[in-house]
Amino acid sequence: MARARFDELIHAPTRLSIVSLLAASQWADFQFIRDSVGLSDSALSKQLATLEQAGYVEIGRGFVGKRPRTSARLTPAGRAAFEQHVAALQEMVVRSGSTILPK
Amino acid sequence: MNSELHPGEAADALAEIQQRQQQVIDRATVPAWYWWVVGALMVVLAVGVDTRTPLAIGITVPVFVVGLLAATGVAVRGQLLDARLREGLLDGRGVVAILAFVALIVGISLAIAFGLRAAGVSYPATIGCGVGGLTMGLFGPVLNRLLRRIMLGNRAGVM
Repeated sequence: MARARFDELIHAPTRLSIVSLLAASQWADFQFIRDSVGLSDSALSKQLATLEQAGYVEIGRGFVGKRPRTSARLTPAGRAAFEQHVAALQEMVVRSGSTILPK
Repeated sequence: MNSELHPGEAADALAEIQQRQQQVIDRATVPAWYWWVVGALMVVLAVGVDTRTPLAIGITVPVFVVGLLAATGVAVRGQLLDARLREGLLDGRGVVAILAFVALIVGISLAIAFGLRAAGVSYPATIGCGVGGLTMGLFGPVLNRLLRRIMLGNRAGVM
């Protein structure tokens, strides 16, 4: 299990959703993230830029046929920070008792 | 560690993490209809084998190949376009489950087909693949649920 370390940058509600999606993926398409999390293009771009500046996310740009396509993936540093953040959350929950564990 | 965060908020955050990871896993899981379509295509191919005329084989083989490619393309569209599952989510148990499922379908189909052929029954391959296809349609969703459970168990944040 990863060492527990609470990460303020990841914990912001929208970023937590984005990073959680990316944590289960090798990469995820911009539109898929946008629709899954329910953000506008500009709001998602802003959050991804914040994560990219922190070194947590890599943005890839390419083409599928003639259509431009943007995807995002967690960097090893981002994946490690996410796992440490999850461990920190779990530690808080465990310390307070098991009755509030998520289903 | 953030001492201002209430444990209830931490639990809510963990629930959110679980829900988002499930979204990716569900998007990548093949739909239940896929198994019925593949089962039906097996029967189509078997009709060609049993009929043994060039016309029947000329029709059923392309239908099988094109149908299988098209159905698989649609079924894995989410993996190709939306999000690719992280490596390691589907571990050795998942691979064993998939191989066992394929062995079950092939075994049932061949055993019935050869048994009926030996007994002199008409259309043995069609009947064998019919039973195999039915098994696939019924138990494919069971395989889906098993693989989903394995992947959820391997995602980050499992306590």
